[in-house]
Amino acid sequence: MRRALRDNGLSIGFGLLFLAALVGQAFAGRAAFNERQLADSGRQLTLLEYVTSSDFAVDVAENWQSEYLQFLLFVLATVWLVQRGSNESKLVENAGTESDEQQKVGKHAEPDSPEWARTGGWRTAVFSTSLGVVMGVLFALSWLAQSIAGRSAFNAERLAQFQDPLTWFGYVGSADFWNRTLQNWQSEFLAMVSIVVLSIYLRQRGSPESKPVGAPHDATQESG
Amino acid sequence: MKWNRIAALAVCCGALAACGSQRADDASAAAEAFLTALADGDAAAVCAALAPETAQALASSEDQTCEQAVAALDLPTGTVGETDVWGDRAQVRTGTDVLFLAELDEGWKVVAAGCEPQGERPYECEVSA
Repeated sequence: MRRALRDNGLSIGFGLLFLAALVGQAFAGRAAFNERQLADSGRQLTLLEYVTSSDFAVDVAENWQSEYLQFLLFVLATVWLVQRGSNESKLVENAGTESDEQQKVGKHAEPDSPEWARTGGWRTAVFSTSLGVVMGVLFALSWLAQSIAGRSAFNAERLAQFQDPLTWFGYVGSADFWNRTLQNWQSEFLAMVSIVVLSIYLRQRGSPESKPVGAPHDATQESG
Repeated sequence: MKWNRIAALAVCCGALAACGSQRADDASAAAEAFLTALADGDAAAVCAALAPETAQALASSEDQTCEQAVAALDLPTGTVGETDVWGDRAQVRTGTDVLFLAELDEGWKVVAAGCEPQGERPYECEVSA
């Protein structure tokens, strides 16, 4: 049991942080929503009503889509784009999808390689892009959920202000949708640039997100 | 197991759709009660169908009771047409004007009536909070 906890500490730790933050968001979001309802002469929602409302759903989904986009882009961009000296980049000369030997697929697979890396054909092709594909699907679904829940929440606001509700196409072309979307994207892109550039010159002893403390600034693809 | 999950999902979706449809029916019924009271000249029923803040705003703007203020108004009567429900808000088209409703603790109430479109700007309403 203790070994399982230790071996999976990163997943468990962040899983618990995710749940705690989501619960915190539910309480804080409900309080903020009910304050707005007082101003709009609306009804106060219970916690259960709030967490099943479109207001909560859009606030959750808009952050999820941007996080999945961040990792999708990071997974795909780092295939071709490199940053000399960054621990987040592979070696400059390895830009691209690399050789089968480097990727340990087909006849270059090792005894403990996953089965689909060894078999070749469509299975290896699918497995070779599975991380990007799943991140892309999760991003697309989260963004779609944001558009659906966001439309519902925005239309409720519009009706409270005596304005006509919008169609889905009207909403995805609206300032509200793109403001919610881009304010999340810009922060994700800033975080990506920050980790790529800062990891060239700064160190965090023991972290795989950092180079070893004594590694030179121009050393690329080293973890410490 | 897989089919059980699909069935459960279908039940959930059906329940949500039914819930949405029920809420639209409730909002339509509240609008219908308001319009019927208007047509009957039943000022007390009209005031009862209004949201408390709307009734209060109407009374204070005319410096009368809500019932007296309603009797002096010439709100268009009509029949309930298309009803759009989003969250705790609804818009009901009556053929002659547009009503806006809110779902309060006591049920759906009319928050604005006699509303006319103003292009991109919010509707202008004869009665609102």
